[in-house]
Amino acid sequence: MADFERVAVLGFGTMGAGIAQVVAMSGREVTVLEAGQDRIEAGSAALAGFLDGGVARGKMTESERDETLARIRSTTEPKELDGCDLVIEAVSERFEVKRELFGAVAAVIGDDALIVTNTSALSVTALAASVPGPGRFAGLHFFNPAPLMRVVEVVRALQTEPEVIERLTEFVVALGKEPVVVKDRPGFLVNYLLMPYLNDVVTELDNELASAEDIDTALRLGLGYKLGPLELLDLIGLDVHEHATQSAYDATLDPRFAPPPLLRQMVAAGYHGDKNGMGFRNRQDGTR
Amino acid sequence: MSTPDRAEGNDVSTLERTVAVLGAGTMGTGIATVAVRAGHRAIIYDVDEANLSRGVESVRAFLDNGVRLGKLTPEQAQQASARIEASTDLNDLAPAEVVIEAIHEDLGAKQHLFGELDRIVGGQTLFHTNTSTLSVTAIASGSRRPERVVGTHYCNPAPLMKLVEVADGRHTAGWAHDATMEFLAGLGKTSVVTKDRPGFIVNRFLIPWENSCINALEAGLGSKESIDTAVTGALGHPMGPFALLDVVGLDIHQQVATRLYEQLRDPRFYPPPMVDRMVAAGDLGRKTGRGFYTYDDNRLFGS
Repeated sequence: MADFERVAVLGFGTMGAGIAQVVAMSGREVTVLEAGQDRIEAGSAALAGFLDGGVARGKMTESERDETLARIRSTTEPKELDGCDLVIEAVSERFEVKRELFGAVAAVIGDDALIVTNTSALSVTALAASVPGPGRFAGLHFFNPAPLMRVVEVVRALQTEPEVIERLTEFVVALGKEPVVVKDRPGFLVNYLLMPYLNDVVTELDNELASAEDIDTALRLGLGYKLGPLELLDLIGLDVHEHATQSAYDATLDPRFAPPPLLRQMVAAGYHGDKNGMGFRNRQDGTR
Repeated sequence: MSTPDRAEGNDVSTLERTVAVLGAGTMGTGIATVAVRAGHRAIIYDVDEANLSRGVESVRAFLDNGVRLGKLTPEQAQQASARIEASTDLNDLAPAEVVIEAIHEDLGAKQHLFGELDRIVGGQTLFHTNTSTLSVTAIASGSRRPERVVGTHYCNPAPLMKLVEVADGRHTAGWAHDATMEFLAGLGKTSVVTKDRPGFIVNRFLIPWENSCINALEAGLGSKESIDTAVTGALGHPMGPFALLDVVGLDIHQQVATRLYEQLRDPRFYPPPMVDRMVAAGDLGRKTGRGFYTYDDNRLFGS
């Protein structure tokens, strides 16, 4: 019998919707918990839209889409999560918000149900300390967009039981993804490597090494990257990257993680990247 | 300067030109292939006869392969092949309108060649250097006309990779820069403009990236397999850092990183101790059958 037959996803934002889709597509029942009906509707619409896109591109059949949707239900009531054997948290990156939610959820689920966080910026160990039975807590870090990205980081907190890491690793394989078991370091593995590189690029752009377009072109054509670093930052969101790299800097005091001045200025100016049409590669005010 | 820029310029964009390539190594022969394929006449220069004949052979082999792959007609390959020449005598480069230097990374040797060629080629001839780690300005100082010297850094293998990084030296003239951009467009290349700074763009970011991945491996953040998997699966890179280092060669990585470190004095560029150990052990990557991974054969990637 497959492990984790009933899965709860906390949060119906971009990551929550993507994770709910991935889990439901593996044949599991998914319950998504969100704070308000409006957010549930927005998340449901985004999820349905993503699946429709998959049907339109011939990646899935209409019946596969319908079966996936039928396995996902949503609620605003934590008590509806009773009976779930795995809880995946994907709410906003605020420690207090996550901590309170874990308390409410832990009160209704079984003592042996696992709780994992999709955080990319907070310490999994610190979050584990906020739940009763921290040995059942770990990180399960999906990349955006979750349905398309092949790798999932399985993050071992200091408290995580070895058997929990094994079960989660098998679960990731059952989702059709590649698990990478990593330590609970700021940025884990991928972002630990990525953030200093992106900060370095922003600094050199500010130092007028080349135009943003030429830096992206050089790294795409020279190294075969799908996206240049500045396009990637626009896609990630400059505010999101600033928050993540600031968190890593606070946790390490390693200057490679310090948000470069130009990044801070872009965020201060309201240039958040693709989501508002203003970033390194698509400044609409014509100044770059 | 009294003459207008364009009058002094050298229009090498559309017409078939004579291109001299200095150095019959991998990069030189690759660049010569690009030149003859674009319709130019190319003279490869090397001090060593054996290198030279190997170089010409490899240009012809590349063109023949293009025919097999359906990229060139037999006529096109034959015509391109007929445009390739070779010489060990610098005086034979007199008709060159563009000189592309692609010898080993020795500043004095590059300066000397440009100084010698000043006496041989015309005053408007462009001097391009394919250096990857030396200063364009320093190389240009070997010529009495540094205004004609431009850095044009091709990627390996040059016939397949579209990117060329263009870097002006301190004294590069506007006409030389513009003529260079037109020449590269005529070769079918995509040019990016950068500064005469160590590593230009690609190596400037690749070397610290690779070093940080090696440090992460040594620090136990992951295994070589898990880091390669994470990078290809989560970042969309075509190869993970360790698979790539094995292709590049650990000795090459060590040399490039050390040269950049010597100029920048930024510890992110310094090759981590693991690189020294691997080079000392002879684990240079694919070419020796063992690097981070072991290989059953030593064929280079893509060949």
